[in-house]
Amino acid sequence: MVALARKTLVYEWRRYLPASLAVAFSGMLLLVQLALVFGIFDSAAVYINASRGQVWVGYPGTQSIDLGRSIPRDAQMRLLMNPQVAQVEPFQWVNGDWRGSRQLGSVSVFVSGIDPAPDGLVFARAIPPALRARLEEPGAIIVDRADLPKLGIQVGQSGILNGQRVYLVGTTSGLRALGGVNIVTSLATAEQLNVGGDPRPAYYVARLRDPARAAVVAAQLDPHDRQRRYAVWSASTLAARTIHYWLFETGAGLGVVFMSLVVFLVGTVITSQTLMGAVAGSISEYATLNALGASHGALSRVVMEQAGWVGVAGLLGGGVLSAMVLLLAHSQDVPVGITVAGVTACAVLVMGITLFSGMLAVRTLRNADPARLLR
Amino acid sequence: MVEHVAIRGRGIGKSFTVGKVSTRVIDELSVDVASGELTLLSGPSGCGKSTLLAILSGLERPDAGSVEALGEQVWSLDRKALQRFRLHHIGFVFQGFNLFPALNSVEQVELPLSYLGLGAEETRRRAWAALDEVGLAHRRHMRPAELSGGEKQRVAIARALAKRPQLLFADEPTSALDSVSGQTVIDILHRAARVHGTMVLCASHDPRLIAHADRVLRMEDGRVLADEHHPHPPMGAHTTS
Repeated sequence: MVALARKTLVYEWRRYLPASLAVAFSGMLLLVQLALVFGIFDSAAVYINASRGQVWVGYPGTQSIDLGRSIPRDAQMRLLMNPQVAQVEPFQWVNGDWRGSRQLGSVSVFVSGIDPAPDGLVFARAIPPALRARLEEPGAIIVDRADLPKLGIQVGQSGILNGQRVYLVGTTSGLRALGGVNIVTSLATAEQLNVGGDPRPAYYVARLRDPARAAVVAAQLDPHDRQRRYAVWSASTLAARTIHYWLFETGAGLGVVFMSLVVFLVGTVITSQTLMGAVAGSISEYATLNALGASHGALSRVVMEQAGWVGVAGLLGGGVLSAMVLLLAHSQDVPVGITVAGVTACAVLVMGITLFSGMLAVRTLRNADPARLLR
Repeated sequence: MVEHVAIRGRGIGKSFTVGKVSTRVIDELSVDVASGELTLLSGPSGCGKSTLLAILSGLERPDAGSVEALGEQVWSLDRKALQRFRLHHIGFVFQGFNLFPALNSVEQVELPLSYLGLGAEETRRRAWAALDEVGLAHRRHMRPAELSGGEKQRVAIARALAKRPQLLFADEPTSALDSVSGQTVIDILHRAARVHGTMVLCASHDPRLIAHADRVLRMEDGRVLADEHHPHPPMGAHTTS
């Protein structure tokens, strides 16, 4: 079988280049917007992803980690009774009001009270042990360095948080919050700042002996009771709940869908036009083949195969482009998040663009009427 | 010469409508075309010769009349059956060579063969033989861009002949060629008729072809005005072998 589709693509690559580029850029736009959205909303789950625990205990039905409510302290005992659990630690969540310099007014902040012990679980990935130890000082706080301008202070300076004076002992990165500023303190300081609030923690975090069993152990630990006063999730489940909540609470999810439709439309228009042009340019040759007995189905397969190869080339090009853009974003501290499911969804959408364009181009083959060659 | 009718056209009529004006292109035309002969449809442009070729070859449905080719009522076949009939029995050569720019000569010839479901080896063998027959064995691996007009037309003829069709239709095969190339093409077509017993029906207003045809049907205004037989046409001086 003569590989007409592939040989034509290679020989007349300039003709097909616009289609492949359209596909590549469509793929890049889809993937980059998805990565940006996931990157931004990943920060809603930073408390979970920057911590080492595999199991989280919180108020039943909590949709997003920032919506936690106090839970009974006996949850900690229940966790420790399970032989799978190696370590349990409370995580306190306090909403705060920051007053820095007069020019900046007040800033709403999220106070995370954590165990400052060197082997503490919460924010273990974001705060190195030496810095963590400095939270032992009463009133000590740590923030992300990108939030310093919002708070209007430098390391060593102080500010007023919930009416109490606190001191910035150090900064780190990877703590940025969505819709506010994350302030990390010790559990003791958090208790001081929790003026009039429920003194019980909002969450307990547990480290398991076998991290791979998170889902199973979380299911074992959950009381599964309609009257339960706390619920247990694996860290990844709670993170996914949180990201999902933010995606749809903010309408960003719908934005992604809408943008994807726009990209799909633009990609399809350019790709199909290019393919149609290519078919139209070879219409006499196709008509001759049809005169010699090649069926329309056989000719359509040639066009669809070309669309497929254009898609594959575009996919590769889009992959390289996306990698470059995402690396650049990452190097500039722009939050980006890539998941296998996201990449797969983009690849499927991109192949959808090319195959749909191919189908539109096949319609051009109707003009391959051999009788026209004789007029 | 044993006369064997390959195509029988009876009462063929065809009109084309452009806007509100309807033009009668073929008018109540009946014709038989024999195997083993090069038959030439000649006449001024617009006389209906290409349309008649299209109707006889199963490309254009007539308004009236019937076409029997190799014992088959062509215009009673459905679209798929007609396509299959063309695949197995009919070869075409057009004025524009219509070669795929990306394929070399062998691939051009192999392409329609691949739809016949022949094995790879048989396909290759037939393609080489066909190119050999048109004297282009040495141009086998060249693409159209590297060939002259005459060579391109010979590749197109090889593509039509490789299927070993009983019926070969050619529309203005020499119009775009210089005299030497044109002569070569005529000789090849003529030899196809003589050697393979193919019915070769050629529509052309090229006067050079008349001397080489076994039979000339002179057309005007959609009718055959004269039917001339040339029992012993001279073979061209520029034979390619």
